[in-house]
Formats: sequence, C-alpha cells, structure tokens
Amino acid sequence: AVLKKRLVKLVVNFLFYFRTDEAEPIGALLLEHCRITKEEENVFSISFVEEPERKYCFECDSKEQCQEWIEALKRASYEFMRRSLIFYRNEIQKMTGKDPLEQYGISEEARFQLGTHKQ
Amino acid sequence: MKLNERSLAFYATCDSPADNAGFLYKRGERHTAYHRRWFVLKGNMLFYFEERESREPVGVIVLEGCTVELCDSAEEFAFAIRFGGAKSRTYVLAAESQAAMESWVKSLSRASFDYMRLVVRELEKQLEEMRWGLAGGCGGCRGSPSSWKLKPSGLERSPERLPALPAVLPKENGCAVWNNVPGADQPPDTSGCGGHDSEGNPRPPPPPRRRASSSEAGSAGVAAAESPSTFNRLHEQYGREVARLRQDWLQRQRVPRP
Repeated sequence: AVLKKRLVKLVVNFLFYFRTDEAEPIGALLLEHCRITKEEENVFSISFVEEPERKYCFECDSKEQCQEWIEALKRASYEFMRRSLIFYRNEIQKMTGKDPLEQYGISEEARFQLGTHKQ
Repeated sequence: MKLNERSLAFYATCDSPADNAGFLYKRGERHTAYHRRWFVLKGNMLFYFEERESREPVGVIVLEGCTVELCDSAEEFAFAIRFGGAKSRTYVLAAESQAAMESWVKSLSRASFDYMRLVVRELEKQLEEMRWGLAGGCGGCRGSPSSWKLKPSGLERSPERLPALPAVLPKENGCAVWNNVPGADQPPDTSGCGGHDSEGNPRPPPPPRRRASSSEAGSAGVAAAESPSTFNRLHEQYGREVARLRQDWLQRQRVPRP
C-alpha cells in the first residue's frame, strides 16, 4: 500500500482529507459506527461496522500525535456526544432532583432519553 | 468529493432510533415541483428516501451551519433549510400538517452537532460547579462559596478552554471527604461512586475540549492543556480540608482520655 501525504481535518463528525496544496477536500469520512484502532508504531486505522475488514490507515509523525488523534476520533461521533449528554443529565438529576434539560425545552425529546439509544 | 457512502447508507438504515421520521414534500432544484419523500433525521444528518421501504437513501443533507425557517410558499406548511455560502442551495420542504411542520422545524433546528456540543458543555459546567459547591458545603468551609467557586460566566471563557470534567476520580475523593467530615449534611452520592451508572453500563468519558478550528496532520499536535487554575484551586480546597481535619485530630490527641 502506498502512503500519500494528506492534510486531515476533523470537523464535527466528519474527517476531511485534502491534498496538501489544495483548498477543497478530496473526500470525507463520516465517523459514526466506526472503530478506531491503534495499529503498529504511529499508525491508527478507522474501520466501519458494516465493512470491518476495510481499514483506512493513517501514519502520524509521532506516537503523541497518534494518541491525540485516536482520542479525538473516538469522541468525534454524534452518538458519543449523545451518550455523554444523557450521562451528565442523569448525574445532575440525581444530585438536584431536577432535569437540567427543562430550561432548554428539550427534555421530552426521544433522543435524550436514557435507554432509548443502545450502542 | 468522495464520501464513504456505504457507511452513510448504513447509518441511515441501521436500527439505531431516528430523531424524527416522516413524509415531507421536497421542492426540486431546477423544477419547482414538489416530490414526496420519506425523511429520516439521525443526529446531524437528514436522509431522504424515494419510498419508506427503500433500502438506500436517495440523498442526505448535513445539518451544520444552517438555519431553519418558515417560508412563504404557495405550498402549505412549508419551511426552508438555508445554508450560508455563495454556492449553497436552500432546501424547501413542506409537511402534511401544521403539527408535523412545527415538529420538524423544532427537531431540525436543534439537530446540529454544534448545538449538541453546546448543551453537553453547559451540563458539564453545571456538574462541575455543583461538585465544587458540595465539597465546599462540608465541615466548616461554609464561607462565601463564590470565593472559590468557578465563575460561571461562559462569555469570558472561550469555548476551547472549558476545563474537562475529570472522569471518576474526584467523585470518589469527594465521597471520602464528605463521609469523614463531621456535621456534613450532604448525603454522599454513594450511587455515584464507582465507574458505572445505574444501568450498569460503564460511564462514557467526558468529551474533550474541542478546538473550534480543526487539527492538521502537519502540525505538532498540541494537546489542549488542563486549565491549571482549576486543578490548583481544587487541590488547595482539599488541602485546606485535610489540614483542618489533621488539626482537629491533633487537638483530640492532646486532651487526656477519660
């Protein structure tokens, strides 16, 4: 496999990649239902639930950079954000007896209910 | 631009619950005829299918940086998803009832990742302030809580610098302190101690602070540093508590036992 140098940008739950001298991205990966794996030295891969053998591999300049990207990508999905929100909501509710989402008028939304969204 | 379309289609059709779903009329790009499509909202993606039973979406609208507004149209119950930028198009949709229109406008305007991130950060901040408040309520530290409580003004703080809530550790320390300090009227959150929530699922770690701009592969990846003042203050707080307990204990040692 040939390694190509790319500029990579993580924006919300998308990973865009560019040729290093171009302003428009060549492509993007939606980061939902994906798995981030540390491969060999300085390399991580992204694979998707519906096609697990297909790995998008990225080689970093250092192991610190590699670790930083792995951490960031693992938390990049909307689904992860949703689980965090449900967790915090639950914690605050336990401590105060009040639902912190009421002030935003979103407490009834199905997407924030505990137990609605299984992993 | 290439996109991992299979993954998108999977996300659209997998059995994770949708945030909204239903028939909407979509106005065409070039011809202004409306076409009835089955729409599914998941996260910040609005997928549309030719028919409800279709196996793959016909298209998707990524709901970042858009506004959702009612619009004047010959079509009843019409609303628009509008994007900035010269080349961006506006999507005009129409629902089949007033209630459906209101429900869609509401869920679409809150669908963005940015909105979600805002709410999560807000809750994170609330939780942190609460934990500090509870720690201060123990023992004799009932002085003005505002002296060492986090100033809540989110306006002063840039979003990137919000300190991340430490995962489990301070909560376990917090339980120990509250249990030992005499006169503490805050019940220790024993259900919270430990790494699992009430459902027995391991807690997700808190989301990290995200840079508003994105990381670049070429840069020396600068990890966002913990705000030193937050931990210093926490450390100082616990330190004072420990010093006070120690003093109490030493004094009790000097008093001859009956």
